[in-house]
Amino acid sequence: MESGRFRLQRIGEKRYLLDVRGQVCPYPELLTMRALKSLSSGDTLEILVDNPPSVRDVPLAMKAGGYEVGEPMTVEGGWKLTVKV
Amino acid sequence: MSELPVDDITRFIGRYSIGRDANPLTTMGSLHFLRVKVPGGFMTSDQLRGVADIAEKYGRGLGEITNRQDIQLHWIDAKDTLEIFPKMKKLGFTTDMCGQGFAGPRYGDVRNIVCCPAAGIEQGEIIDVRSLLKRLSDFFIGNPDFQDMPKKFKTSISGCRSGCTRTVINDLALVAVEKEGKAGFTLLVGGGVGSTLPGPRLARSLGVFVRPEEAFDVVLATSEIHRDYSSRESKAKARFKWLLETWGIEKFRKALEEKLGRPLEDYDGPIFQKEDGHMGVRPQKQDGYYYVNVPTLGGRLSSMDMVLFADLSDEFGDGDLRLTPRQNIIIANVKEKNVLLKRLEEAGFPLKGSRMRWNSLGCASDFCGKTVSPHCKEILRETVDYLESHFDERLLNEARLRIHINGCPNNCCATEIAEIGLLGLLVREGEKTKQSYNISLGGEFGLKTAMGRLVEARVPAEKVPRKIEALLSNYLTKRKPSERLCEFCNRHTVEELKAYLNIKGE
Repeated sequence: MESGRFRLQRIGEKRYLLDVRGQVCPYPELLTMRALKSLSSGDTLEILVDNPPSVRDVPLAMKAGGYEVGEPMTVEGGWKLTVKV
Repeated sequence: MSELPVDDITRFIGRYSIGRDANPLTTMGSLHFLRVKVPGGFMTSDQLRGVADIAEKYGRGLGEITNRQDIQLHWIDAKDTLEIFPKMKKLGFTTDMCGQGFAGPRYGDVRNIVCCPAAGIEQGEIIDVRSLLKRLSDFFIGNPDFQDMPKKFKTSISGCRSGCTRTVINDLALVAVEKEGKAGFTLLVGGGVGSTLPGPRLARSLGVFVRPEEAFDVVLATSEIHRDYSSRESKAKARFKWLLETWGIEKFRKALEEKLGRPLEDYDGPIFQKEDGHMGVRPQKQDGYYYVNVPTLGGRLSSMDMVLFADLSDEFGDGDLRLTPRQNIIIANVKEKNVLLKRLEEAGFPLKGSRMRWNSLGCASDFCGKTVSPHCKEILRETVDYLESHFDERLLNEARLRIHINGCPNNCCATEIAEIGLLGLLVREGEKTKQSYNISLGGEFGLKTAMGRLVEARVPAEKVPRKIEALLSNYLTKRKPSERLCEFCNRHTVEELKAYLNIKGE
């Protein structure tokens, strides 16, 4: 699978989007961690997931990593997670 | 837009994943399991040592042999997977792709293909199926064309004249048979005893004879039919058994023949010629060699146990190990069997006890969070110990008794096809939740096949061993000569059997 699929999209001022729909564990968590490392303090990352375990696991891992995590939101075809750097 | 440096992650996508264990607050504290896919259960001593090493470093030193011949580890941290996956790749292993979490009918893969664990060494086997197993596994593992099927697809292959692979609960089962002196396979299709539609179904004979050289194409074509025609309307209808239910057997055969581009030969001969769990110590077809099937009752092993089996296999065999579909482990190509048996006994793995120790199955309900204590494997051990302490081993063996215990209706341990099936459910009692089991009786697979009947529901877990003791006491006093437990159960009504389960004095 091409790595180009997992691009960070800039969707606003200091706001980015990562789409990991279709991915099973551990990839949403690993890709989110990788994405966060490329962002700067004050940036916000939105993550689109559709694998239910990721809705549980990604926020848990991000909180453990010291990030500020918003409540998961239901969106069409999955969920949107929000993490602030 | 910016490109993420993710090549070290993406190279594992499609071949490796971890699955969800349940809420860590209510169960064993494991978030994820890792299901090491061991095609056909065949592994070398070095591979088992490698899995033991991964279990020790990342999984609190525990591994479980599953009833599809995998090894499942728990407490896997997602962050560690970038270390674990390369180790697995080096060992030659991948994982099942656990797409079950997705809401819709998507991301089904070809699950580990179950194989006769005595393939190539069983006396009197019709076909050594290992090369077919390897060819199929190599083809399907990581194949993107088969990773987004409506739901998972389960296949089994047995060459030994028996249904040792629990053929009847597979989507597609290949069973070696002979026709006019020629070896080949007949097919059973549409099995599955989980709760998805149309409910529990035993695989049905397709009535065909497939030559060994055609077998690969037949499995491929059947998998393609599942991928392309099984329902994507909902997860509940997405298993292959629903397609068979809606199409019927004849329509499926026609579709298979069209895909193959040729008609299939008819077969109406016997399918199973013996019942065989490959238990105990057995002489191999290779003169002077034995295989030793070590019972583990539930399949739970420490990493030290795994190293022990690997070392014993090197010392007494040639490093050839096989995980069985009944959660046991076979050490193959052994010459000095008596010394090996002594060493196994000293290490806490005696080849003693009733057939139940080899034949029974228990699921990992304590990890997937579908039960509260006592969990399935605890109840299984407790029940077998209890029955062995109350009945003569010979009598237990005459009953041909198997216990399959499962924590939830997904039914990975196939409660319906065991003589005694225990299906877990949680019952509210005031503020408390109590673990209970539905007891079904009279299931069978082997020479004959039968679905068990639900006899008593919501039995408190602590009563299960004594209920089964009561049943066996009634069986032993009321049975006909040579009558097996399933036959006894199937000639009595549900009401009669329920009375036989009554504990004396209650």
